[in-house]
Amino acid sequence: MLEHLTGSPLFYDYLGWAVLLLAAFNAAQIIYLLWNKARVESAERRKDELRRLTVTAIMNSASPADLLHPPADEEEYEACSESIAGVLDNFEGEIAERASDLLRLFDISGHYRKMAGSGRWYRRCNAIDILSVFKLEENREFLLDLFEKEKVKEVRYRILRALSLIVRGHDDITGLAFRLSALPYLTPKYTEDLFYNAVTALKTAGLEQEFGFFMRQIMRDGRVLTLVKRDCLTACHAAACEEARALFRDYYAAYPEEPEILAACVKALARTGDLSLLPGALRHPHWLVRLAALKSAHSCREGLAEEISGLLSDPNYHIRLNAALALAKAGERGSAALRAAASSGDRFAAETAAYALGQEAA
Amino acid sequence: MSPPLQLAAHFTQYSVLLYFFAVNSFYTLLIILAWRDMVRHSHLSTSRAARRQLTGEFYYKPVSVIVPARDEEAVIAESVRALLNLHYPEFEIIVVNDGSTDGTLARIRTEFALAVSKKPVCLRVPHEPIRGVYRSPEYPNLLVVDKENGGKADAINAGINVSSYPIFCSIDADSLLEPDAILKSSKLFLEDDELIATGGIVRVLNGCEVRNGAVTDIRLPRAPLEAMQALEYTRAFLLGRTGWNALKSLLIISGAFGVFRKDMVVAVNGYRRTVGEDMDLVMRLHRHCADNSIPYKILFLPDPVCWTQVPFTLRGLLRQRNRWHRGMIDALLFNRAMILNPKYGPTSLFGVSYFVFVECLGPLIELFGYISLPSLWAAGILNTRFMLLFLVLVAAWGISINISAVFLDTYNFRRYRRDRDILRLCLLGACEFLGYRQLTLLERVRATFSFRQGHWGSQTRKVMDKETE
Repeated sequence: MLEHLTGSPLFYDYLGWAVLLLAAFNAAQIIYLLWNKARVESAERRKDELRRLTVTAIMNSASPADLLHPPADEEEYEACSESIAGVLDNFEGEIAERASDLLRLFDISGHYRKMAGSGRWYRRCNAIDILSVFKLEENREFLLDLFEKEKVKEVRYRILRALSLIVRGHDDITGLAFRLSALPYLTPKYTEDLFYNAVTALKTAGLEQEFGFFMRQIMRDGRVLTLVKRDCLTACHAAACEEARALFRDYYAAYPEEPEILAACVKALARTGDLSLLPGALRHPHWLVRLAALKSAHSCREGLAEEISGLLSDPNYHIRLNAALALAKAGERGSAALRAAASSGDRFAAETAAYALGQEAA
Repeated sequence: MSPPLQLAAHFTQYSVLLYFFAVNSFYTLLIILAWRDMVRHSHLSTSRAARRQLTGEFYYKPVSVIVPARDEEAVIAESVRALLNLHYPEFEIIVVNDGSTDGTLARIRTEFALAVSKKPVCLRVPHEPIRGVYRSPEYPNLLVVDKENGGKADAINAGINVSSYPIFCSIDADSLLEPDAILKSSKLFLEDDELIATGGIVRVLNGCEVRNGAVTDIRLPRAPLEAMQALEYTRAFLLGRTGWNALKSLLIISGAFGVFRKDMVVAVNGYRRTVGEDMDLVMRLHRHCADNSIPYKILFLPDPVCWTQVPFTLRGLLRQRNRWHRGMIDALLFNRAMILNPKYGPTSLFGVSYFVFVECLGPLIELFGYISLPSLWAAGILNTRFMLLFLVLVAAWGISINISAVFLDTYNFRRYRRDRDILRLCLLGACEFLGYRQLTLLERVRATFSFRQGHWGSQTRKVMDKETE
């Protein structure tokens, strides 16, 4: 083939065309690049101006729609949605209502609902991210419907996140937990974030007890993954659910073989000021449970000094270190135990004890 | 001419031409894959998502930033100050002084009023003995480890042992991270439990304006040698590594900026002491996960940026390229089980094969082509038409690839804002074939025959910060 090409009487024509084509392609790339750069910079300036106008209108006028024109293109939708999202993130009450009204009047939510039907999964993701910021209850049915139709996992995870921001009762959360359990487990942080949003939304609506109903409902339900249950407990802990004390104790009793759940219960309960699980947890055979108990024992003062000093020679580095740090905060009895360990023959215990004593002195 | 000689000449010309055709086609494929990946990424990595992570109550994982430093007295304080300004809710900075012979430790101890810390160190990966650990009372998240010299890999291993968090980021002491770089790269670890390592883009700091540890004005370096490296970095990172993402074959996460899951790095016994420790680690991570059927992902991210100084003398540049090439050969030899082994799937088929046949053997073939084809042509064995075809293939197609890399970068990220800088980059893309490429090629060939040398060599640094100056 090569010989056919080099031997062809049109060889120089072909070569010339190839060089010309590449040169034209390169020149086109450069020209388009410079033109696009100028266009994007001008669009950015326009968007900045529109963002500023939208925020000013929402903040200063009772009917901001009168001062603004409806978005005409994608850039204007983006600018409007970003400013409204910013307002919704930072304000409540009348100003937030004005921002939500603007969403409806300009049908911004509708625009992103349309975009959520795009053929490209990443565009759908982006649209759902934007819709989730709006926290509009009227989007719930749409999102639930979309979840059923959606095939791409990445989009489905985002839909669940959007739904978590608009839960209004334990049925919503239960639905969320079932849908989540039907998908491959993503990450603890994602699940925690989801249920943290749910607890926060319920707390804002004065329905915190609904989360308690939900937790009891799923306690023995095998359809919800144990990891999801653990993350719900962690979310409870992060969102400072005061009414969940009994729930944490029940979970602790119900899952004696699940160290992750036990650790989450110990941490969550200690956060509410209840340290009743600590003595048992400090003796638990799994290091994760002991570690969770030790971290909570930092605030326990003198009460558990004896149990904790035994952990100074624990085989696990993290346990030894946290035991020493907990003892350093446990008053005179703790300090005495540390001094004794610092001069003991156990090198690991001695080093951690010396470190904790040094930290406390500092 | 005798028939055997003619046959040999034919074979040579066909082989070389085929090689260049295959390589350029592959680069073109990488451009297309990189383009797709970047468009996707730009839709998902929005400023809104970053803000959510930054302001979120607990939507992050704490990160340990490990900075190995040997004889970095000139830049270390500036680098640490820049790191302390990172936008991240919870992180620690661990500077590992790897037996410096200059005043690196003294400088950092004075600058941050360090005090001795007696926190016991958990020995999970091997390294040379630690002489002392220091903590800053003023910045509780700053730790300095002083240890015996053992090389960069050894220093990072010490940092891993001292670190407290589940994710660590290793960066060079002369590099500057953009304030949101950790935020952008660690975000992926939250979204995907299978992710075990990721790296951001490394860009050229030379020529940029730096104030208080932050890049305030991005400019292309004036010196052609440094500017040429800016082009090379753009091409290698954006075009190469982004393209590798799509093929699930990323084999290098730059030592200048990589983020790793600590448990996985500990599982492969940390970094291995070699000049190409960054590539070696990534290859061993691939092997470990494939050998143990662990689902995993190793990804390159095009938008978290790390700024690094590139050599400003030809000698420094050649020494650096020599080291990189030796490191790559060593990593490939150490992980030779991955070469054309179906057990390692696309990583072996695309990534390892590319590194063996293009990066490792390529310089030899390319040099052979540069010498043999003009010689054959001069001897009248090769016809002029073939020679022209070869030149078009090598130069014109290569120039298009360079310009496409500049296009991809400027279209998606617009780092260089001045038209002049963009045009200069394109011009450099056209000039790369007039000497620069051949010089680095010769050094790589030299490195191929001296890869057993294990030394690092040193790089001269310039103080870049206007305030420090």
